[in-house]
Amino acid sequence: MKQMPAEINSTIAKTAVLLLRENPNQAPEPYKIVELKGLAKAAGYTLLAEITQRRGRDHRFQLGRGKIQEAMTYKPDRLIFYNPLSPGQVFNIRNEFSASIIDRFNLILEIFASRASSREAKLQVELARLTYDAPQVRNAISLRKLGEQPGFGGSGAYEESMYQDIRSRIAKIRSSLMDVEFIGEDRRQKRRELGFDLVALAGYTNAGKSTLLNRLTHAGVEARDQLFTTLSPTTRALDMKGRKILLTDTVGFIDDLPHFMIKAFRSTLSEISQADLVLLMADISDPPEILRLKLAASHKVLWDCGCQGPIITVFNKVDRLTRVEAMRRLKIVEDLAPSPVLISASTGWGFGDLIQMVRQKLQPLREVQIKLPYTSEGMSELSKLYDRAELLNISYEEQMVVRLRGRDDIVTRALSSKVRQI
Amino acid sequence: MVCAAVSTRISPEFIEKIHKVMLKSCVADVLDLNSVSNLIGDSIQCMQGIVIAEKGDFYNLEAWRVGSILGRDFKYPESLGERTAIELAHHISFAGRKLVVEPMESDETNARRNKFDHC
Repeated sequence: MKQMPAEINSTIAKTAVLLLRENPNQAPEPYKIVELKGLAKAAGYTLLAEITQRRGRDHRFQLGRGKIQEAMTYKPDRLIFYNPLSPGQVFNIRNEFSASIIDRFNLILEIFASRASSREAKLQVELARLTYDAPQVRNAISLRKLGEQPGFGGSGAYEESMYQDIRSRIAKIRSSLMDVEFIGEDRRQKRRELGFDLVALAGYTNAGKSTLLNRLTHAGVEARDQLFTTLSPTTRALDMKGRKILLTDTVGFIDDLPHFMIKAFRSTLSEISQADLVLLMADISDPPEILRLKLAASHKVLWDCGCQGPIITVFNKVDRLTRVEAMRRLKIVEDLAPSPVLISASTGWGFGDLIQMVRQKLQPLREVQIKLPYTSEGMSELSKLYDRAELLNISYEEQMVVRLRGRDDIVTRALSSKVRQI
Repeated sequence: MVCAAVSTRISPEFIEKIHKVMLKSCVADVLDLNSVSNLIGDSIQCMQGIVIAEKGDFYNLEAWRVGSILGRDFKYPESLGERTAIELAHHISFAGRKLVVEPMESDETNARRNKFDHC
């Protein structure tokens, strides 16, 4: 057990004690409590103490009764558990200790709910919460109905309909999010038609994705040393030595996310899965074993969301290490780091290598020459090509001879256009 | 049950080269850790390198314990390349199982049909 320094801010009302149960058959994982601490701080809690216990799962309270009693001596507003709590455990702890409790998953949802600003983000958070709540409500109803006789005093149809209401709301949100996904797909298609390459910033939370976006595009996006600062995707245009790129900042990943949560955030994650290139960010100043865990968690999310594009692993915060140490850590995680690049998003160090690597990984531009007639259709085609590709030369002969360079799909479309004269 | 072992060279993202594929089948009364580990051990006998399998295949045992059962370096999949290799092995084992099971089923159907004809 570790007691926190008394840095309680009187303006923040919420206080919490963190509790973690470690499996006695597994090696200690100190990063778990560090991560929980970061999450609690991001949710605005003032931490009073952190309590860990190595033991098997207690079916009534998750941890031992004594540890929860110890936590209650700090008189916190909330007990935050790292381990997931079953509905029965929630009921038992509330009943026995009159404590307000929350587990890690609900803590993440609480952070998301407080930061969700767009309609899409709000729907995603609601979907994740309802998907989590649905089996719990069903369980609670069956507990209430245990030994119940029909008639007076029974839980009746009201409770039963609550579960049905949740199911129907989940269906409605899913269909709304499906629409959002279609809109996103249309938007990506239009952007590609305009000659943009779509690059997504992905990676573990607090890896420095927003800082890199700000540094490259001067976007002015909020970037803080805090978990889950970004929730909704932000896209900004960038000219990378002649290549038009749209860089999208996305929500950070976290370890041990339930599968349904990844499913709920599918429309946001589709920005990564459908991108032409993914920049997988990682914080190289993390200790090697934690860096490895975070990269493995990121790979898992990329796998779950069906990422198709090539990946560049961007190791950020290299300015906090010596060059030798950075190379040593890179060697340790090389099997999890496709095309690694070392950068410092705050100082701009290594951006030259990053830009070179991005240009190398993106599909090369095609250069062709086409002829267009002096008709209104020909002029309209030329105008479109001005917007979508780079026109290298136009010579006005019997027809307009246009030499252009652009994305493969745009060049193919220009070549197959009916207006074009062969 | 059928086990497919695939020997590959992988990058963090992709499978770079497939060296060897081994398909083994066995019939067991119970699907316990012993029978699973024996089958997997047989399949990987003539293959070099680190063994990678999904957690569920070894009933969520810790990697070091599975390694000591198999007597080989062992890990659970982490990178996209490793997951792709496992997916490949799944497809092969599924196709292999179909090859093994369908003739058996068709034999049974034929036997049943013959019996009906005799009646």
